Amino acid sequence: MKPRTMDLFWRTASWLSGLTVSASVMFLIGFLLWQGIHALSPALFFGDTAWQDALFGRKPVFEGIWPAVVGTLSLVVLASLIAVPIGVAAGIYLSEYATIRQCRWIGSLVDLLSATPSIVMGLFGFTLILLLRRTMLPNAQTGLMLAAACIALIVLPYLIATTRASLQGIPEESRLLGASLGLTKWQHIRHTLIPLSAKGILGGVVLAIGRAAEDTAVILMTGVMARAGMPRNLWDKFEALPFQVYYLAAEHRNAAELAQGFGTALVLLIVTAALFGFSYWIERQAARRWDSG
Amino acid sequence: MIRSLFKMYCGLGLVLLVLGLSAGSAASGALDVFKGLEGTIQIAGGTAHIPVMNDAAKAIMTANPKIRILVEGGGSGIGVQKVGEGLVDIGNTGRPLTEQEIAQYGLKSFPFALDGVAVVVHPSNPVTNLTAQQVRDIFSGAITRWKDVGGNDAPIHLFTRDEASGTREVFWEKALKKGSVASSANVVASNGAMKVAVAQDKDAIGYAGIGHVDASIKGIKLDGVAPTQENAMNGSYPVTRKLYMNTKGEPKPLVKAFIDYILSSEGLQIIQKHGYLPL
Amino acid sequence: MRSRRFAASRAIRYIARREIWIERVLFLAAGLSAAVVVAIFSMLTWFCLPLFTEHRLGAVLEWRWDPIHQHFGILPMLFTSCLLTIIALIVAFPLTIGICSLLHGVLRNGVLHRMLLFLLHFMTGIPTVIYGFVSVFVLVPLLRWVFEAGTGFSLLAAGLTLSVLILPTMVLVLHAELDQAEARYRLTAEALGFSPEQTIRTVLLPACRRALVVTVLLGMGRAVGDTLVSLMVAGNAAQVPHSIFDSVRTLTAHIALVLATDSHSMAYQSVFAAGLFLFLLMSCFQAFLRFWAKHGTVFK
Repeated sequence: MKPRTMDLFWRTASWLSGLTVSASVMFLIGFLLWQGIHALSPALFFGDTAWQDALFGRKPVFEGIWPAVVGTLSLVVLASLIAVPIGVAAGIYLSEYATIRQCRWIGSLVDLLSATPSIVMGLFGFTLILLLRRTMLPNAQTGLMLAAACIALIVLPYLIATTRASLQGIPEESRLLGASLGLTKWQHIRHTLIPLSAKGILGGVVLAIGRAAEDTAVILMTGVMARAGMPRNLWDKFEALPFQVYYLAAEHRNAAELAQGFGTALVLLIVTAALFGFSYWIERQAARRWDSG
Repeated sequence: MIRSLFKMYCGLGLVLLVLGLSAGSAASGALDVFKGLEGTIQIAGGTAHIPVMNDAAKAIMTANPKIRILVEGGGSGIGVQKVGEGLVDIGNTGRPLTEQEIAQYGLKSFPFALDGVAVVVHPSNPVTNLTAQQVRDIFSGAITRWKDVGGNDAPIHLFTRDEASGTREVFWEKALKKGSVASSANVVASNGAMKVAVAQDKDAIGYAGIGHVDASIKGIKLDGVAPTQENAMNGSYPVTRKLYMNTKGEPKPLVKAFIDYILSSEGLQIIQKHGYLPL
Repeated sequence: MRSRRFAASRAIRYIARREIWIERVLFLAAGLSAAVVVAIFSMLTWFCLPLFTEHRLGAVLEWRWDPIHQHFGILPMLFTSCLLTIIALIVAFPLTIGICSLLHGVLRNGVLHRMLLFLLHFMTGIPTVIYGFVSVFVLVPLLRWVFEAGTGFSLLAAGLTLSVLILPTMVLVLHAELDQAEARYRLTAEALGFSPEQTIRTVLLPACRRALVVTVLLGMGRAVGDTLVSLMVAGNAAQVPHSIFDSVRTLTAHIALVLATDSHSMAYQSVFAAGLFLFLLMSCFQAFLRFWAKHGTVFK
């Protein structure tokens, strides 16, 4: 009978898809673990330098990825410091204060921002430096601050979206609280809405952090180097984990550097997996709150 | 809750500021010429120079932690452009500067080593010798299978360098006699990347500096002449080039010290260790 | 000591002023976020301006990229970007439908459902560079060995890797829509005696036609905008591909390569033209997305 064979075909096809994709991902993780697990050791991070000296940059680290870890960490922290206040504030405005027209316009432009490819954002950062060099600051260079600002721009739409979604997700009864207590608009937002949506916003922040940590295309154009040591100040060149992975894949000089590449990839995967897991857990908590309520 | 978040935010900013402004501790250098100096040297350009620059940087930075040396690649073209525009202190090139470049940017050249450009293949490739005409035909795409030049019955996989590369320029002028390179050739961005690409592919052919040839790839004899540094020195291997460090005008004291270090006897050892010929 | 007589009205005036200022600050934040994308577009156009004013646009709209011989055409790269996206979609879309059918059919509840969903969520967190990294060391040699055509760095390798990259996002978006459709139609379908596969095939998927288009558009957007995968595994030859085993270069990889290596001014301008192309392409996708999506913004 026709429906039965069609069903069988459909079922087989869906099982195949599921198995293919699961197998590929499991293989990817397994391969990285298998090749990279040997490389995981203090030598991966610090090379020949003692860890006490390397930790705060007292002695330079050669052939170790600690500067890359510090670089990625600095990028993430700086980008978050820039993006989180602006993103959450914009999200609050769009959700609570904006008129329909403003919502549509600003929403469209923010959507466009989210659609910008990361290499174009890196190009933007690079041209910013070119412009500055031609006009106001002839000594301007690419560096940590520029890269962090560009990453903050990439990450901004995520923050705005999650803030908006969390605020919109608050049920009507809770919103009536503010009016019933005679709170002003801002007092209502600050004391009622934000505490209720805090978990959702936090989930968005963690997601943004994960995105900032894994980005490569932006930093390619705005100051990352394969060997730059610890960044000495906010305008310095820096290293970063994803760029190390790319560089070592393309240009490892011997088997030891290749092993280091696998180790770096594994470290990056662990870091992003941890961030992702944390964000997933927070999201589940936030969702559960409204389900049970 | 917002207040505590705000406090955390300010605290984080403060920590960053402190970390950002803190400098490394002082330690006197054993390398005499760098004693008492401090600052940053930025180097960019030719990828053939990178191993030598990295080793020199490591020696200097270990001896004097107040000095910071940043090395990056990009190719000779990038080296010229960046040093000309003042973005870096030393621009490395694997080819001599053109008149126009010297005039436009006011650059000074410091040659420090002799290197050759070898045609490289995978170590398991049975081909060991190619005529100049065969090399030209292979790279232009006229010959597409290895058995036409005495190898296995396999397709030839071409690898070439990007446009900014000095290695590519020298190879194009002296080996290919300005012939064309097939547009289907894979493009890699540095000598190191060329090495990795050829080492991983049994049917690959490419070109790299002789200093980059090691056990993972094999240099091919060109018209019977082996691509060794001796042959480059005595002139029998035609595809050679000098490695240059270039600065914009007279170099600053710290940069001058670095250049002197490369040209000193310790620098000589580093150059030789990486397979180049000191001048 | 200030009189306490009008303390209440003073407090009210203070709070009212504070409210106004807070609204202004929040508006500033929102306005800034919106203004950024305008700044990016202006910057790109400004740097492309010489191409238009000096009538050199034709130089960039060529089919050959060969700076040594003064050819600065980026059309091969544009063609590759589009072709690569289509290939990635051809692989990813059926897989998306398949996995969604699995999630809503046979595995509707239970441990496997949750595990599959968790795996998909996890995939969205894997960095792009890791996909590229594993492809370079596994997929490329595999393709070289299996097909014996080309170096392995090819359109096919990039297409396959990209499809795995865009898959999780596509599945999660479609899954969310199917969940909603399911809530509406499942009981009816079961009452009519449909099997799970029939329900999905004939009821749920057709009900989510809009979501299917959204899914495809999202996947296309992600595939066009990706840089690292094509930079690492596509081979980077600036040519128009004649087979899927040819080495190719996308617009994104072109920007990364040229700015990191080239130094002629015409090449610089071609890069800005490439950036503008990309930006316009993505804007088109976004415009279509807004037109098709039911509720405004869909991210990631």
